[in-house]
Amino acid sequence: MKKALVVLEKEWLELRLQRALLLATLFLPPLLTTIAIAAFVLVGLVPASGSAGRLPLIPELVGLSPQELSQVLAGRQFSVLFLLVPIFIPSVLASYAIVGEKRERTLEPILATPIETWELLLGKALAALIPALAITLASATVFVAGIVVFAVSAAVRDLIVTPGWILAVLVDTPLLALTGVALIVILSSRVNDPRTAQQISAVLVVPVLGLIFGQLAGVVVLGPGLALGIGVILAFVAAGALWVATRLFQREVILTRWR
Amino acid sequence: MAHAIETHGLTRRFDGRVAVEGLSLTIEPGTVFGFLGPNGAGKTTTVRMLAALIAPTDGDAIVAGHALGVDDTALRRSVGILTEQPGLYDRLSARQNLRYFARLYDLEPARVDAQVERYLHLLDLWDRRDEPVGTFSKGMRQKLAIARALLHEPTVVFLDEPTAALDPEAARTVRQFVKGLRAEGRTIFLTTHNLPEADELCDSIGIFQRKLLRMGSPGELRAGLFGAGTIVRVVGDAARYVPMARSLAFVRGVHAEGEALTMELDDPDARNPDLVDALKAAGARIRYVERLQHSLEDVYLRLVGGHK
Repeated sequence: MKKALVVLEKEWLELRLQRALLLATLFLPPLLTTIAIAAFVLVGLVPASGSAGRLPLIPELVGLSPQELSQVLAGRQFSVLFLLVPIFIPSVLASYAIVGEKRERTLEPILATPIETWELLLGKALAALIPALAITLASATVFVAGIVVFAVSAAVRDLIVTPGWILAVLVDTPLLALTGVALIVILSSRVNDPRTAQQISAVLVVPVLGLIFGQLAGVVVLGPGLALGIGVILAFVAAGALWVATRLFQREVILTRWR
Repeated sequence: MAHAIETHGLTRRFDGRVAVEGLSLTIEPGTVFGFLGPNGAGKTTTVRMLAALIAPTDGDAIVAGHALGVDDTALRRSVGILTEQPGLYDRLSARQNLRYFARLYDLEPARVDAQVERYLHLLDLWDRRDEPVGTFSKGMRQKLAIARALLHEPTVVFLDEPTAALDPEAARTVRQFVKGLRAEGRTIFLTTHNLPEADELCDSIGIFQRKLLRMGSPGELRAGLFGAGTIVRVVGDAARYVPMARSLAFVRGVHAEGEALTMELDDPDARNPDLVDALKAAGARIRYVERLQHSLEDVYLRLVGGHK
């Protein structure tokens, strides 16, 4: 375990030295949060004229004023980003940490040390997961605070910050992020470019996008039950992906089978 | 005293293809062993097996007192390895690179900085210690990779092509460093294509092509393949003395080229005076008498070429 922390420390040291990567990943959630709150505030300032009564709305939005409706629609669209970002960031960081290391031929000297391969993998996975989840959760908290402060009514707040969304952020996205890291490890055995690994791992956003569009269309309601159900499925998927990843991340396999 | 490295029938197959076949050898502590062979001969696979990076399909080995496959973590802690590619973190400084590996090699925290400093000084990198490795020359990178292999003071060190692509000055520095390691009592397992370098550094040499073709000291390898001999340089055409030389009982072979008369003898040290007397009696005027010295390249090419 001690060596996993040594690996983690080195990964963060390298990350600090990669300004472009740092800007492109870790500053993204705060930036999006700022834009989201600004947009939320602005649509709330639109004068309340006309009526939303004749619009084809999903049942839970019926009866809202135009201001409330604008804020709910804007808030919900932005809230979805907090489900996507924790997939994107760890995949980018892990791809540089693993595929990048493979490309630079630095893996063999590490494997020659007394480190266990699980320690190496754990260190790299944590180095990608911790900052991504921490900054996403921090940004989500700021987003929720912005919603609470600037919502034109309590109904708006309750329709954006739902128990289902909170559970999805707390339970489903970390599991998706974990699956993303495992997928990067699996892809590392075949690709030599971090960007290729990122592009392939982007497939993970597809189910999230399905959830988003389903919710916008009123077909899916992201309640606590659904969020937990998805969490259970994701737990199995993440466990399976990690199992495959650890089988591939062995000295023998890395040195003789990775291409 | 126990051997530094001892292998018995070490074999590695990849999907039915034999990369290393029945390698049996012993290497004594405090010596430099040269492992020579063409590209694709299985040298890297052998080094990886001995450094406990990959497992043998068959056979066994003891390296630095640790049996392969028993406690490989302890074995890895006792050996150092310079891989074919230096494999350094370009964004990190020389010091940060070494500190990372020192910690991975389980050095006590109090010793980490001292060891890093020691090897940066030894390899003349101290002045550049805080610069990103990406700015280093090829020679500096190679020296840093060597430092990394030694931080934990291993008793057995594997060096894969340590002077490949280095300029003559950097290559000489590395060779001097290897000699210094031997003087400290470490065992060096040196893989190289630079045959003069192997001749200069190695106490024993193994010529390898999937299996061990021959092993011995450079002198033993030469004598075993070519025998001993003498070159006599005479005034005028040496060919006129060939019949006389062939008539001498202790001469096993004669070859003339220009003024040089090359002869294979049973025992040059004892027979050279008789040889010189016979040539003078035949009217030869002698310029020089030299020992016939086959290069390691001759040995290598005969063994590897003959095996193809």
